[in-house]
Amino acid sequence: MIKKLLTYLLPALLFTACLEEDQFSNSPMGNYDALWSIIDERYCFFEQAGQQHGLDWDAVYHKYKPQVQTAESDAELFDIYGNMLRELKDGHVNLTSDYGTTYYWDWNLNHPLNFSDSLQRNYLGNDFRLTNGIKYTTLPSNIGYVYVGSFEGSLSSDNVSLMLLRLAESKGIIIDIRNNGGGMLTSAEELAAHFVSGKTHCGYIQHKTGKGHNDFSSPEKLYIEPNGVIWKKPVAVLTNRAVYSSANHFVMLVKPLPQVVVMGDKTGGGSGLPLNSTLPNGWTVRFSACPILDIEGKHTEFGITPHEEVHITSADWNSGRDTIIERAIELINSLYEENNNKKD
Amino acid sequence: MIKRALTYAIALLCAPFTLCAQQLANDSIVPERVVVKCASYGITYMNNLDTYLSGYNHTGRGLYYSNEKFRDARIGNYRWKYQTLLTANTGITTLHDNTQLAGMVNYSWSGFHPFKINSRLQLLAGAQIQAGGGALYIPTNGNNLVSVKLRTALAATGAAIYHIPTKRGDYVLRAQADVPLAGVMFAPEFGQSYYEIFGLQQYSRTVAFSHPFNSPSVRGIFSVDIPIAWRLLNTTVRLTYTADIFQSDINQIRTHLYNHAFTVGVVKTIYKVKKKDNLIKYTPY
Repeated sequence: MIKKLLTYLLPALLFTACLEEDQFSNSPMGNYDALWSIIDERYCFFEQAGQQHGLDWDAVYHKYKPQVQTAESDAELFDIYGNMLRELKDGHVNLTSDYGTTYYWDWNLNHPLNFSDSLQRNYLGNDFRLTNGIKYTTLPSNIGYVYVGSFEGSLSSDNVSLMLLRLAESKGIIIDIRNNGGGMLTSAEELAAHFVSGKTHCGYIQHKTGKGHNDFSSPEKLYIEPNGVIWKKPVAVLTNRAVYSSANHFVMLVKPLPQVVVMGDKTGGGSGLPLNSTLPNGWTVRFSACPILDIEGKHTEFGITPHEEVHITSADWNSGRDTIIERAIELINSLYEENNNKKD
Repeated sequence: MIKRALTYAIALLCAPFTLCAQQLANDSIVPERVVVKCASYGITYMNNLDTYLSGYNHTGRGLYYSNEKFRDARIGNYRWKYQTLLTANTGITTLHDNTQLAGMVNYSWSGFHPFKINSRLQLLAGAQIQAGGGALYIPTNGNNLVSVKLRTALAATGAAIYHIPTKRGDYVLRAQADVPLAGVMFAPEFGQSYYEIFGLQQYSRTVAFSHPFNSPSVRGIFSVDIPIAWRLLNTTVRLTYTADIFQSDINQIRTHLYNHAFTVGVVKTIYKVKKKDNLIKYTPY
């Protein structure tokens, strides 16, 4: 009996082999190879990047390799690694170390601003209310103006409900998310939940299931469920190119809703939920990992086109008028009158 | 009449022996239950890898606690012994400037069949139910800053216990190995975010069957009980080295949590008897 036990137990102990990942060395080339491999195995937009700007990730490796081999300092290596990541043209891809964080900004900076806080001040005035980072007021035309500059903070249903109750008498509301660079997906969803009256299908999400460029799970449906005070009057959502990530997600969620009109410039995009990993030297890399698709199953990585494209004109800019807000006021007034006429 | 007289005479003659036998029985009170308990505290050297969070080993030190109870089973004529073992560890591991926090709690229940080789050596073999939970946390990660560990498994377990008698009491050496054979564990898919799992409640793909080929793990416990008798102090101290090796390779996510823990604790032996006089002290351990 004892002999039998030993016969079975000992091999079990002996064959408990160590599970290690293939680890690159902590050297300039080792870190470079590690960085390239992390992106190669886990980044989710190779197909879209190939179609959009002809990305060839294998060619990128060979492009920067000679620079890495001749680099003389960590600072130089940091810049080279950052330049390699910029080839993805993705604002969600960053490298972080003591030298700072590398960014790709062209999705925003190569486009018209279409927002000015100086112009916004003419509408928001000095007596605006502030709740959980959201500024809001009622414009003279009895239209609610809500500015959501970020989704970094955690929005609560109570905050949004109380705000909507204060604006309940207005003809409609303008939700201005221009320059909102994102934050928490759940905050964007919390805000969107006040504009649906039932469980509403609003998009899809998928994730990588393996290291191949096309190893993805089947898209799972995304829903928004109503929460707190529900707003059914007209809503104008104002966008510009600096609307990114979670703010882009908010636009994706509300754009199909019947009472919502998205106006302004195309959004910046950033529809891949980013994850992080580390290099052998401890530097951190962030990358898009889980694509979120709109209700038609299309990627919004490169931005969402508004229902109505509006830009701030030079004439308006000079006269202190925000063309996009003015157009939103005009639209809500006309929708309000249209609804009144229908009731009559 | 003569027959009756002989009966009484024999009875009287035998009476002292009967009393003696009863006295022996009284001397041989066997406790209903004996429990050997030991809570130990110490440090652990940790080496953690979880490719969901980072592709590289994070190493560091932490605190380790174990609470062990070893007792006779009340079934089958004391032929079985059982052990409960609770361990907990927490610590900070690093990869250069990159910091990872780790914390795990494991519980196991084991039933052993003893094989007494001689008066000093006994071998134990049996089955074990394991359950464990914890997390690895990298604060600088964004949407994948935590990797949750939840698992339960059925394991094979075996131990060798060797007594070295001395005037102060027995030194007891113990070597034990626990090898999980089959179980289930929480295992997200390769690139699945916690937003999908917990935010959108897409749990369906996150439970995996574990076995020695995708989760080759083992826990080895090596301890020595040292009796100490010095002035009024009369106790037993246990020094333990635990090698807790947990590994998994599921959904192309590789994990290893290596703990090499050194702990020290005081052994308490508790005898449960109805009448304490003439108790025979022994240990199931």
